[in-house]
Formats: sequence, C-alpha cells, structure tokens
Amino acid sequence: MSESVSPSPKGRGFIFSIRSPRDFWGGLVLIAVGILAIWASRDLPGQRGFAFGPGTAPRLFSGLLVGFSAVVALGGLIMDGPRIEKYKVRGPVLVIFAILGFAAMIRPLGMVPASFVTFMVAILGSKEMRVLESFVAAAVMTAFCVLLFVYLLNLPFQLWPRF
Amino acid sequence: MSELLANLALGFGVAAQPYNMLFCLLGALVGTLVGVLPGIGTVATIAMLLPITFGLPPVGALIMLAGIYYGAQYGGSTTSILVNIPGEATSVVTALDGHQMARQGRAGAALSIAAIGSFFAGCVATVLVAALGAPLTGLALLFGPAEYFSLMVLGLIFAVVLAKGSVLKAVAVILLGLLLSMVGSDLETGAGRMTFDIAELADGIGFANIAMGVFGFAEIIRNLELPEESRDVLHAKVSGLMPTRKDLIDSSGAIVRGTILGSLLGILPGGGAVIASFAAYTFEKKMSKTPQRFGNGAIEGVAAPESANNAAAQTSFIPLLTLGIPPNAVMALMVGAMTIHGIVPGPQVMTKQPELFWGMIASMWLGNLMLVVINLPLVGVWVTLLRVPYRLLFPSIIVFCCIGIYSINNSPFDVVISAVFGVIGYWLVKHDFEPAPMLLGFVLGPLMEENLRRAMLIARGDWMVFFTRPISAGLLGVAILLLIVSTLPKIRRRRDEVFVE
Repeated sequence: MSESVSPSPKGRGFIFSIRSPRDFWGGLVLIAVGILAIWASRDLPGQRGFAFGPGTAPRLFSGLLVGFSAVVALGGLIMDGPRIEKYKVRGPVLVIFAILGFAAMIRPLGMVPASFVTFMVAILGSKEMRVLESFVAAAVMTAFCVLLFVYLLNLPFQLWPRF
Repeated sequence: MSELLANLALGFGVAAQPYNMLFCLLGALVGTLVGVLPGIGTVATIAMLLPITFGLPPVGALIMLAGIYYGAQYGGSTTSILVNIPGEATSVVTALDGHQMARQGRAGAALSIAAIGSFFAGCVATVLVAALGAPLTGLALLFGPAEYFSLMVLGLIFAVVLAKGSVLKAVAVILLGLLLSMVGSDLETGAGRMTFDIAELADGIGFANIAMGVFGFAEIIRNLELPEESRDVLHAKVSGLMPTRKDLIDSSGAIVRGTILGSLLGILPGGGAVIASFAAYTFEKKMSKTPQRFGNGAIEGVAAPESANNAAAQTSFIPLLTLGIPPNAVMALMVGAMTIHGIVPGPQVMTKQPELFWGMIASMWLGNLMLVVINLPLVGVWVTLLRVPYRLLFPSIIVFCCIGIYSINNSPFDVVISAVFGVIGYWLVKHDFEPAPMLLGFVLGPLMEENLRRAMLIARGDWMVFFTRPISAGLLGVAILLLIVSTLPKIRRRRDEVFVE
C-alpha cells in the first residue's frame, strides 16, 4: 500500500481502539447488511427434507456474510490500517442528483429536456465547469443522443413533454 | 486436427460476412477509443453499449462486444506511451518504459512493438481458444451439479486470491454479490425473496444496473475527487514507425514469454488482463541480465506486458465459452449480453450454435489484424481526442449511461437502482473493498444456488457429496490450498509487491 499508515489515536477507556477504521466500519456495515438480509428472508420457507427451500440459500449466505464481516471488523481492531479518506460532498451529491433527476424527468418531460438538464446538473459537480462551454456541450450531447438512440437505433423514446 | 480446421473455416466464413466484419471493426474502434480515454473502463463501456446491441443479431452483438475488450488493450498502450497516461489499468506498466522510450524519440518503435506484440499474442490466443474449446467442452459433460458448484467456488477463490488487498474483505464482497443475486423471485418456487415489498424488485436487480452503478457512476464520482491531471500531450512528431532489426530481436523473447504468461493467467478464473500485464513485466525484469534498464526505456518492458494483456483478454473467453463460467468482470458482462440474446453460455453453445462459437473466435483474429492496420495510422486522432477535458467528458458519460439503462426495460426505476449502486460502489472503494469480486459473485450467484440445490437433492441432503465425488473434491482441494497459501505471510508480501510495482 502506498498510502501512509496513520493509526488513529488510541481511545481511552476501551480495551480495544480502532486501529484500521476502513476495515472496522466497513465490516460493521456489512454485518448490518447481513442481518438485514436474514431479517428480510425470515418468512421464506427453509429446508424441507432434502430439498432446499427458497429461504435456505439467502440465510446461508447472509450468515456467512455476517461471519466474515465480523472477522474483518475485528481485524480493524487488531491491525493498523489507513484512515478513511474524507468523503466529498459536492461531486457525489450532484452526480447522484443528476441521475435521479433523469429518472424523474424521462417519463413526464421526454428525452430532450431530461438529457439536457441531467448534463447541466452533473457538470456542476466539477469545480472546473465553465458556463458557456457547458451549455454548448449539453446541447451537442443531447443532439448526439437523440440522433443515436432515436434515429439510428429506432428506440421508441418520447422526445418532448406531452401536453 | 482436420476437425479443428473445418471448424475454423466455418468460423471465418461467419466472421468474414460484411456485416460481421463491420461489427468487428466497430467494436475494435470503440474499444481503442475507450482504451485511449482515461476515466472510462472496459466494464463500464460494455455495460453502456449493451442496450445498443439489442437490435443486432446475436453473432454480431457478441463479435462487437468482444472487439471492445481486446481493442481497449491496444488503445491503452497508445496513451501510455505517448502521454504517460494509461487509459486502461492493463497498460499501467507499459507507461513505465514506453513513455521513456517516447521521450528518447523512440515513440514509433514503442508503438509498433506494442502492436506487433499484441498481434502475435492475439494470434496465439485465437488458436489456443480454438484448440482448447473442444476438449474442455468434453470435460464439461462429465460435470454434475456438485462439480459445477465446486468449480464456481474455485473460480471465486481465484478471484479472491488475485484481487488486491485483503483476502477476507474480498470474500465478504463476494458474499454480498451472491446475496444481491438472490433478490427477486426464487427460480423454483417463485417466492419473492428480500424484495421489501417493492414491486420493481420482483424480477431481481438487473445486472447492467449494478455494473453501470459500480463501474460507471462510482468511478466518475471517484475521479471528480482527484484534481484534473495536466495532460501534456507529446507534441513531438512520431517518426520512424518501423522498429529496427535490433528492436525486433531484443523484444522477440519478451513477446513470446508475455504471450505464454498472459494466456495462462487469462484462463484462470479471477485473472485477466490487468494481472497478466503486471506479472509479465515483473517476470521480464527478473529474467533480464540488465534489470537496471527497466524504467529507462527498455523495449522488453513494452513488449512483454502488451503481449500478455492481449493474450489474457482473449484466453479469458475459454472458461466462458466452454464451461459457461465467467472468469472476470468483463466476461460476466458477456454472460449478461448472451442471456439478453437468449443464449445460455456453456458447453452447449459449441454444439448447438457452432456458427456463433467459431464465428466469434475467428472474429478475434480478424479484429486483431484490423487493429494493427488501423491503429498506427490513427495515433494522431487518438492523441487529439485526449484533449477533450474530463469536465465535459463525465457529464456526457452520465447522460449516455442514463439513457442506456432506461432503454433496457423502459424503466425509470432501473436508473434509480444504478444510482444507488453508484453510492454503494463509492462506499466500497472508500473502505478498500474491491467491487469486481462483487460483480462476479452476483453473476455466479444464481448458477451456484441452482447447482447447490440440485447437488444436495441428488445426494439426499448429504453435504459430503462435494468431497466424495473425485472431480469435485479435487477442485475444492485446490480452492482450499489456494486460500491457505495466499494467507501465508511470505506470499502475501510478494502479492502486495506485484501490485505496488
């Protein structure tokens, strides 16, 4: 690993301190996912005789996931590891917002407005965006997609909002 | 032997049809483009282009998708050499010596050796795929459910051992992928599993949605965090494309060794082109009498990894086409593509659809030939493309992906799912979990469950069946051995070294 290993400060009052936060928190979250999966498949019938029920494999694999994740989390208490990189807000939020926006717009508004707006929202996620250039690029990209998907590939997309 | 020739003739007959030639060329060109542009991976591109191939005939669609994969190996080397920016993870090591050569005014020689090495590797790998196809398919007929299950376990263990970072974390991620594959209706009883009463989840999570989220959107989010690299495109004219006689002699050994190593690593599950190129470079450096030349423009340092990644890209089709088991994430996508066209990957493809099987193999050779011919004259075009700044590239990719996902089922919900997986992918990377094994687990999940269920039913609920049947026991034995060996401290250190270099 090239990242510098900077162990977290030792916590007081605990027997263990979190020495590798990436592993520790990563493991904990996956344990939660495993438990959620076990809970979600609680009503499914399990093994009957020799035959697996629909619930057997999900419970089997979520149990294994909980087990392995627990070892990963424990490892985070024993072995030193790098800190968690800071989560950025602007890029991820705007990119995800743009994608969700596309999902919300494509049916009611049609492909042209949805593509254009998605492009403009996504580009805000970059610190280097320039206004005029972005508008031109969004228009070009929208035109390209319409040409490719609607005219060349003949996909039945609605282009504009219907009133 | 005559049978092999007859099969290849059939294949070339299919691949040489004008339409298929066109798809092959298109795939190779798109692949090169993807390889050139940093920030778009092969997996994301194939996922992006899946919807476009819906309307094509199956043979054409698969020929094109395969072309993207090996085309990307060519494209990646071009930018590694000229600009010192590897467009593709497989070309990271090529940049070490390739760019040094370019600075010394030998860009032409480096480019042509990369192309020649790739072409040689492509030829050998094509023959290998054709030759190993029939015997491995025969082997597949001996396999019952227990053997299939054990083979997939072995494949996943390989993926774990060869992934970088912690073995335990890779196993956890694979299990996550397996669980995700179980969301939706149960195959045998139709019971809805882990759907949280969301109607759209009843059919399960779409493979393309996960791939696009984890490899497309998550990668974009990651890239936005990095400062935009200055791309000092080499303005010096590329002259003297032909390598000298000395270059050819110097690199011939490296090309052959790279090809062999790459072919082997490509067949192994979990391997693939990235590891092959790293391994070939390290091996060549170890073999060399003058290791100090590496990193300062040694032509072997270009020839070996470029041959290896191309060989591996092609031989990784072998397990997919013969056993129906995808050895890496790109092949997992190919399974998705085949399923969309109603083809179940596995031994029956070769017997039931010989024109598809052999046509695809023959197209690989044709595609490699096209790449050598078109790649060198187009170097200028690719370098110009690099001047498109990432700030304009990434919103375009996002729009393209959104439309692509939506078009698969005309479902806005699919777009939402892929956004969710974008966040999950981002989180995984922040916590040093590799996303590729998750995708592999997701693809193998339904197959594994089905075979596990059947094996248990046939064995009347006796878990020992996996150890009493000889082939199954052997496969599991290898898997356990691998797992133990990879956790030994000495090997682990070695493994880390390979990825650091």
